[in-house]
Amino acid sequence: MAFWQYLCPWWRKRGASADVGQAEREEALKKAVRQRCAAFRQLLSANKRALEGMSEMEELLCGARLFGMEHVRAASTRVTAAVFQMVREFQALSQGSWPGLPGALERIVADMEVRLARPQDVSPGPLLLPLRELSLADVSLVGGKMASLGEVAVHAGLDVPDGFAVTVAAYERFMAYNDLRGELEHCIRAASTAGLDALFSLSTALQQRVLAAQLPPDLEEAITAAVADMQARAGEDLLLAVRSSAVGEDMPGVSFAGQFRSELNVPPEEVCRVWKEVVACKYALAAMTYRRQHGIPDHAMPMAVGVLAMVRASAGGVAYSRDPVAPGQQGERVVINAVHGLPVGVVDGAQVPHVYVCSHTNAPELLETRQAEGPLPLDEGQARRLARVAVALEEYYNAPQDVEWAIDSTDGRLVILQSRPLQIASSLDLTPHMDSLNQLPVLADGGVPVSRGLVSGTAFVARREADMLAFPEGAILVVERAWPRWAPLLSRAAGLVSESGGVAGHLASVAREYALPAVFSLPGACRLLDSAGAVTLDAHNGRVLSGLPPQGASLTSSAAPPCLMAGSPVYRCLQEVAQFVTPLHLLWPDAPDFTPEHCRSLHDIIRFCHEKAAGLVFRGEGLNGHMGKQLRVGARLQYWVVDMGGGFDGVVAGPEVELRRIASRPMLAFWKGLTAVPWAGPPATDAGGFMSAVFESAMNPALESTAANDMAERNIFIIDAHYMLLQARYGYHFCTIECRAAGEIHENFVSFQFKGGAADLQRRCLRAALLAELLEEQGFRSEVRQDALFAIAEGLDEGETLQKAALLGYVLLHSRQTDMLMQDQNRVEVLRRTWRTDMAALVQDWSQSGNLKY
Amino acid sequence: MRVLFVDDETEFLELMKKRLVRRSFSVDTASDGESALRLLDETLNSGESFDAVVLDVRMPGTDGLEVLRQMKERRPALPVILLTGHASMGVAMQGLDLGAYDYMLKPVGINELIIKISEAARMAA
Repeated sequence: MAFWQYLCPWWRKRGASADVGQAEREEALKKAVRQRCAAFRQLLSANKRALEGMSEMEELLCGARLFGMEHVRAASTRVTAAVFQMVREFQALSQGSWPGLPGALERIVADMEVRLARPQDVSPGPLLLPLRELSLADVSLVGGKMASLGEVAVHAGLDVPDGFAVTVAAYERFMAYNDLRGELEHCIRAASTAGLDALFSLSTALQQRVLAAQLPPDLEEAITAAVADMQARAGEDLLLAVRSSAVGEDMPGVSFAGQFRSELNVPPEEVCRVWKEVVACKYALAAMTYRRQHGIPDHAMPMAVGVLAMVRASAGGVAYSRDPVAPGQQGERVVINAVHGLPVGVVDGAQVPHVYVCSHTNAPELLETRQAEGPLPLDEGQARRLARVAVALEEYYNAPQDVEWAIDSTDGRLVILQSRPLQIASSLDLTPHMDSLNQLPVLADGGVPVSRGLVSGTAFVARREADMLAFPEGAILVVERAWPRWAPLLSRAAGLVSESGGVAGHLASVAREYALPAVFSLPGACRLLDSAGAVTLDAHNGRVLSGLPPQGASLTSSAAPPCLMAGSPVYRCLQEVAQFVTPLHLLWPDAPDFTPEHCRSLHDIIRFCHEKAAGLVFRGEGLNGHMGKQLRVGARLQYWVVDMGGGFDGVVAGPEVELRRIASRPMLAFWKGLTAVPWAGPPATDAGGFMSAVFESAMNPALESTAANDMAERNIFIIDAHYMLLQARYGYHFCTIECRAAGEIHENFVSFQFKGGAADLQRRCLRAALLAELLEEQGFRSEVRQDALFAIAEGLDEGETLQKAALLGYVLLHSRQTDMLMQDQNRVEVLRRTWRTDMAALVQDWSQSGNLKY
Repeated sequence: MRVLFVDDETEFLELMKKRLVRRSFSVDTASDGESALRLLDETLNSGESFDAVVLDVRMPGTDGLEVLRQMKERRPALPVILLTGHASMGVAMQGLDLGAYDYMLKPVGINELIIKISEAARMAA
């Protein structure tokens, strides 16, 4: 059916009737054209949003950015809402001639919903379980920490403290009793989590809500009774440790080392209150950041808690069944970190521990002792016994272990407090760099490498929590104590230096997880590195050097950062959902399967709507006198123009329109800017990119339209006398320029929106920031979100608005492909100066001539 | 341009009002569905009604979708923009199906929102 007939049902019904006056018919026709243009414009706008949503999803899939389940949901919702609107506008435009389309969309969305749905998380089961009844099979009820401790006691036959687990069922009961789940999720979804400061306030709010909630009476009674039983066994002076044991906390590849809370020396009567505090620490900044970084959704990590009798320890620490820093380099060895008293001083990085190195056998030998300050906490026999236990646990679990232990001072028993999979750093061969490194002056030396590697960056000394907010991405973090609370910065740091702590600290574990070069126990680091500027951290030899390695040995990072998201539950969910979003199956508009019934992804639907709608508008039979036309300046260009009325200087016949027939003042102004300064061509870094095709389409009049048959790639102007919308999708680039300029000042605006590019994300972001800066100088307001720029100028008179439209023409042409140049500071500076000069010249020229005629 | 902003988070509501007023919008606010509908009725009777509505989806009492349905009953051409912190594809499609102009997710840039309001009002005019 011809578009003409869709266009005007009224006309179809009454068109032949002789009593309808010519003028009336024309008026009705104009109105119908306007309505269809409006629908098409809306469709294009929804199309742009759908493509943006898709690119957001693709970016998440790259794993370059860290995200949570709420990001997956938000991206899915954005793209779905936009596609829904596209379908709606397309239905209006095509008068519902594709009835299968809404059904196709519904089918795809239903498939997505299934993947996004939260698993039913009511956990039946007892509220408490005694530690000695636990095994690994209980992991989903009591968390990894308690399950493996139970396993150690029951199946490996080792000593563990008396105690019990407050299960996930108890946690769920508490959440349900206070109706907390929905409330917390709502807070998380509604909050902006773009920056660390926003996450800070979200974290505080969530923790406060948990702390303000009440324990269900049956839970409180159960805990009180279990503690009374322990007290009966232990005698009057019982003190307790209340430790987090979140489900998923100890899964392979993630350690959550120190990200959750353990409260020591808790009096029995305070256990209920402290239990709530431990639950609340699920929303502590460090834990939230860590979860986000590893793609673990909030609901996938219910909190179980262990309540254990405190051990009166003469010594404590951590034993590694393998050397976590230099695995296999000198044969396998067991490394023991030990301090006097409880192991807390080792794991929170506050104390410099004594180190014992033993052979990795069933009858270990003590190979080496590195004494810290004070007397040694273990004798040789104790060290060997401990090494044997570590090796036995590794054999039992069939994986290297990280074992937290204590020696009971009353009877000399070795008590196991925790055993979990060990994070091992990958080794790196530094030999090729040693010569150039040795030329640099040494700033600080004598530290312990806890995560090997070599990296250069600016040293940043962080002393207070507030310093976290100012921490620059890519700097080397220098701290006095290796507190776990610094962990949120590690994903943004290039390296880590601490004056205290050792290999066994939580922060060291996290650094190894991030493959982040780190040196601990480096004396005087804060003082020596404060204001040191650019330094090189040699985390192989435990030292910091001044300046950067000479040319040729420049190292920005020790290794590619691991993609922490890959394989995580959130990432897997995204992958599954994206199957129904991004793949394009409908390729050929002329193929018989180019139908709604064959749409298998949202991208297919987007493609279908766009292609068919553009076909209706631009290829409509019998329509040549009225709507879409290809722009011609001498020859045909790769721009198509839709006139909503008054955009041409009269009736234009045929499928093309000459530039001189354009009467839309915003479009003419924009075009003037676009052609004011010839483009130098694509930057040398990329001579054959897609942008050169765009360049030619604007500037090379000989280019024929056959080059771009794909409607989805076309550049479309929608205009009237005082309005212009340009929508272009230059391959990688979504770009919209919109302008209204008329007598009414408060309705005038000109806006510019783009996203993407061909370079990596960092360079694309830099380009967006540079353009924002220059446009602000020209009176625009702008917002930059990563590589997306939104700039607007509004409330100006007609002439000023048009002048800004011309500036955008210039910017659009000249910013192409420049994302490629953004890594070179000098070239960025040249670009900044050139653009600034050209824009100033354009403004001056405009104020002198203001001439729009061609 | 006159806008009705409906959201139960009053702090957010006041902030958005301030920012819109600074850009010469005239803004009425309501923190629940019932008072939003009451405001709409009053203005319908006075003949000086809103050019657009920004409506939170999740509110205590009458929820956003129900408010939208009733608004559309009273004034079918009134453009309503749904704004929510709770991303749900089902709710988005339901809302759009009920005639919402668009469905936006928090956090939203003020410029983006202004463009959307102006566009919605223009389309309705």
